[in-house]
Amino acid sequence: MSEHTPIRKYLPLTESTYYILLALAEPRHGYAVMQKVAEISQGSVEVGPGTLYGAFATLEKEGLIEKVREADRRKTYALTAKGEAILQEQVHRLEIMARVGAAWATHRR
Amino acid sequence: MEGSTISKLKVFTAWQDDKEEEWLREMSCRGLHLTLPLFPCVYTFIRGEPHDIAYRLDYIPRMPRDERGNYLQVFRDAGWEHLGEMAGWQYFRKPVQAGEPPEIYTDPESKVRKYLRLLGALAVPFMTPIIIVAVTRTHDRPHLPGFELFSIALILVYLFLTYGLVRIAWRIRQLRRL
Repeated sequence: MSEHTPIRKYLPLTESTYYILLALAEPRHGYAVMQKVAEISQGSVEVGPGTLYGAFATLEKEGLIEKVREADRRKTYALTAKGEAILQEQVHRLEIMARVGAAWATHRR
Repeated sequence: MEGSTISKLKVFTAWQDDKEEEWLREMSCRGLHLTLPLFPCVYTFIRGEPHDIAYRLDYIPRMPRDERGNYLQVFRDAGWEHLGEMAGWQYFRKPVQAGEPPEIYTDPESKVRKYLRLLGALAVPFMTPIIIVAVTRTHDRPHLPGFELFSIALILVYLFLTYGLVRIAWRIRQLRRL
């Protein structure tokens, strides 16, 4: 996959990847991302260091995130335009899924 | 006797990393804590207070030197102690709180990548006998006295490796089903 890969090839994102990208709405380094994910997912998703390190490597390679800073052996990453576009599309899809699910749930009663 | 060390011999294959992790945790619960040096099949423990400590093994066969610092820092920040490295295996530990032992891989697909790295690393010794046999012709092979025995040993090692690869591939399949 490269810069010209259509967005939908990356979707759906795994829960962990989705939250990691959301956590990078502001540039953050590894552990700060782990903390942010636990916070915004209200404790429902936890990202371990092995998962996080691997995710960073893959997301950087695919061009969804980029390194903006490095200090004290900690790399700070931020979303790229491509990363934002993919996240935007995933959010859009989840909105549809949630709406359809809610409609089904109310219709059942 | 606190502070004294004891060595134990135990064989864990590459695909039994989860069993190795459980065993090391058991040892810590008994007051024996893993210490350096890390050596294949030989584990050195230091006697101390029993603590419930989770051990996790990561597998990173080729880590560029400048990446290593970053890699370890992520784990350190998350509260994991790095014991050391042995043949590409990274040994981490962290005390267990509130019942559930912590994981370094919280997402099944990321764990799959670890086992894919392992498959990749084992593919090299796996391919070597095939290449040797493919490249040498029968009448060129020496009829030395030990040669038949050597061939049998090679075949056994080969079967063992194949078994290992199958076990790892199975683990990957199980992880992907979740």
